[in-house]
This record gives sequence, C-alpha cells and structure tokens, in this order.
Amino acid sequence: MRVMEQEKTVTTVATGVVVRSAWQRRILTFLMVFGPGLIVMEADNDAGAVSTYMQAGGQYGLHLLWLLVVLLPICYFIQEMVARLGIATGKGHAAMIYERFGKWWGRFSLIDLLAVNFLTLITEFAAISLALSALGISPYISVPVSAIGLTLMVVTGSYLCWERIVIALCLMDVTWFVLAFMVHPHWATVAHNSVVPTMPAGGITSSLVFLVIAIVGTTIAPWQLFFQQSCVAEKRLRFADLKWARLDTLIGAIFTVCVAGAMMLVGNYGFEHKVAFQDPAQLALALGPMAGSFVRNGVLLLMVNAAVLGTTAISLASAWAYGEVQGWEHSLHKKLWEAPGFYATYIACVAAAAALVLIPHVPLQLVIISVQVFAGLILPSAIIFLQLLLNDRELLGERWVNRPWNNYINWTIIVVLFALSLLLAAQVILPNLFTH
Amino acid sequence: MATFNVTPNMNGFRVVHPLDDITEQKCSTEGLGKIRMTRAVRISLGVLRAYLILMTLMLGYHVLDISGLLHKGH
Repeated sequence: MRVMEQEKTVTTVATGVVVRSAWQRRILTFLMVFGPGLIVMEADNDAGAVSTYMQAGGQYGLHLLWLLVVLLPICYFIQEMVARLGIATGKGHAAMIYERFGKWWGRFSLIDLLAVNFLTLITEFAAISLALSALGISPYISVPVSAIGLTLMVVTGSYLCWERIVIALCLMDVTWFVLAFMVHPHWATVAHNSVVPTMPAGGITSSLVFLVIAIVGTTIAPWQLFFQQSCVAEKRLRFADLKWARLDTLIGAIFTVCVAGAMMLVGNYGFEHKVAFQDPAQLALALGPMAGSFVRNGVLLLMVNAAVLGTTAISLASAWAYGEVQGWEHSLHKKLWEAPGFYATYIACVAAAAALVLIPHVPLQLVIISVQVFAGLILPSAIIFLQLLLNDRELLGERWVNRPWNNYINWTIIVVLFALSLLLAAQVILPNLFTH
Repeated sequence: MATFNVTPNMNGFRVVHPLDDITEQKCSTEGLGKIRMTRAVRISLGVLRAYLILMTLMLGYHVLDISGLLHKGH
C-alpha cells in the first residue's frame, strides 16, 4: 500500500500504521501489545492487598520490604507462562483445563474460581463503602454508583475502550509514590531493607509468619492466571507479540511491587507514630492530623481505585471463564445483546456483591476467612494445571513448552506455594494448632 | 505463520494492531482428547488430590469444632 504522506514520520494507512525506523516500529508494536500484563499485575493491588501491605508496614515498619523484591520474579515467571499459553492457544485457562484434564477438574477449577472471586468482590465493595464513608459519602450512594460505573465500563462493546480506562486507573496508582515521599521515610533504611532481610523486634512470631504468607497470597492470586490468559486471547495477541507481552508483564510486575512498597511506606508512617489501626481507612483518618489532608484523602481515594480495579478484573475473570466453558460468546468486542450470558455473568457478580455489602451486619470476617480457604484450594491447583499445560508437547509443540530451566524454577515456586497455601489454610481453619 | 504485524516496505514499516491483523492458526486441542498421563502428570494430579483431601478434612474438622460436636464429652 502506498504511504500517503511520506514527509511525515508516522502515517496512518488503511490497516495499521507506517513508521520509518526500526525503533519506532518496536515502540509502536509494544504500545499496541501493552495492557494485559500491567492490568493483571496492578489489579492485584486490590483493596485486600492495600490492607495487607499497609498492615505489614503498620506492624513491622520497613522490615518486610525484601519480601516484595523476592516476590517480583515469582509473579513474573508465573504470569509469563500464562501469557505464553494464551498466545499459543488463543484460549482461556478454564477452557484449557476442561479440554485437557476433563470435566471433573474443569468443574472443580471453575466452581472454586467463581466462589473465591465472588467472595473477593464482596471485600472490594466493603472497601469502597468503608473508604467513601470516611469521606462522608453514604454507602447507599457510593456502592450502587460504583457498581453502575463498573458495569458501564464493560458494556461499550469495545475491548480497547475498557483497556484504556483500566490502564488510566492503573497509572493513577503512581499517586502512591507521591504519598510515600510525603511521609518522609528513611530512604537509606528503605534501600537496605529492600535487599537485606532484617528481623523485626520480637523475632519470628506466628503473627509475623502468617503476615508473610498473607503477603505472598495477596501478591499471587488465583484469578490472575485465568484473567491474563483470557485477556491475551481477547486481545488476539500474535505469536510474534510474545516478547512484548513478556515486557508488558515484567513492567507490570515491577510497577506493582513498587506500588506495594509505597503502601508499606505509608503504613510504616503509622508504625513510627504508634498509630493502631484495623484497616487502611482508619489509618488514613489517623494520619490526617499528622501528615495532612492530602495523605488522608489520597489513601482513601486510592483504596477506592484499588477496589474498582480489582472488581473489574476479577468479575471479568469470572465472566470469561464461565462464558468459555459454557460455549457462550464471551468477548468485550461484542455488544450487550450479542453476548448476553457473558455480560449477565459480569453484571450479576458486580450487582450481587454490591447488594450483599449493603445488608446491615453482613459477616465480613467470615467472607475474608472463606476467601483465604477457597484461594488455598484454587491457587495450587490452577498453578499445577498451568505448569502441566506448559509441558504439554502434544498441544504446544517444542516451540511453546517450558525449557528445563523454566521447569526447575516453576516447580520450586509451586512447591513453596503449596506449602504456604496449606499453612495459611491450616492457620485459618485450625487456629488452635498455632496458639499452643 | 500468519503474522503480518510488521511489514517492511520501501517507505518504512507497517505496524498492525493485533485486533486488526489476520487471525493466526493457534495450537488447538481439537482431536487431542485428554492430556497424556505421563509420570509427571500422574504424580502432579496425585499430589493435588492428596492436598485437596487434606484441606477437605481440615475444613470438616473445623465445621465439627465450631458446631461443638468435638467438645460434647467435656
């Protein structure tokens, strides 16, 4: 095709964009592929994660920063496998489990995923209610308005429209860095504790061990596996896009871990000023008189942003997984009436979770415990299936399967995650075992 | 391979968005059936079953515990 305006560096043509140099080509291709990796990672910094990271800072100061640095490559290696499988097959994770491991494992994975996702959604709306209540907005306004906004985000019939909105929300998390600078942490200690594990005062206690496990569980969530694979399939990433999808995932992992670190620094400000708190909203209100209203309102609004990001990604993970297993149209490219089952699943998840939060005295503690138990069931199994699928030569051929060094790293990660999930579930289900 | 996302021509390179590009032939499960039961697959699924049974037993114990059935004798 002829380039119409040759004097310009970049010229739009009927299909695609023509650029003059190789580096422009690389940047533009990356920008076109960019999205799923950042979104899956940053949406994982949801309301529960904000609470966990700020609690870690509030209870142990800067001592657990190193853990985030350790988790960075683990997040990347797991999600890289997901992106590779999505690009190679063009299908979601739930469909692959059904097709290669049969109906029993397929149903088990799907039901468990839907359960843990739904319970997590309740915690997201609880966080929206909590944060906006602290800003003087009634939950009877904030929760329905958020639910309507979250629905409008997806019913545009355009994947790209949804993706751009969500990337903008992800980038708003840069504000966490501003908040971290405003609370003036001791940067030399931050740098030291990020690379050298140090022991908090009081040594290794069961509370410290389980906070460490909670951080691991928060950073690697089961819905991420299902979400990114479906997202990659939805965006129709091509074989040649794999290197850019890897870069997208790596950038997402680094950004997410840095944001999580910033949350810990804000929590650490509470630790330094001996502020006792149960949730981030309480901490934000307590920090107001000391750090200023920008920090107070910033934490509250970023908590809402985290919950919105988590809700849209988790609801989509459920809707994609359920839609693909049911054989329905399951695409954000479709209009509402073209994929009614897919959109109905998304809307039902959002609406039911929002409605439950508005019921007075809803047992949130029970919901949080159930999330941990269900996540303990689904995460190891989803990762096992992922690893086995990435070694399925019959399906993927030599080009896409894991290399031996991949397998060595991934099996190590899986064994550690199995042990941690079991320990966390045991602590939640059998707390008496750990009190003697 | 049906990847034409980057096409060099005389004036430069054409970069096509994945959503506008020609659909590729992906790795398909069609006709493959279930995964082959190699030793690694058998062991992995066995460990997973054992893990799930253990979790179910712990949950069962917890339900009995909070319902007070385990402490009736005291």
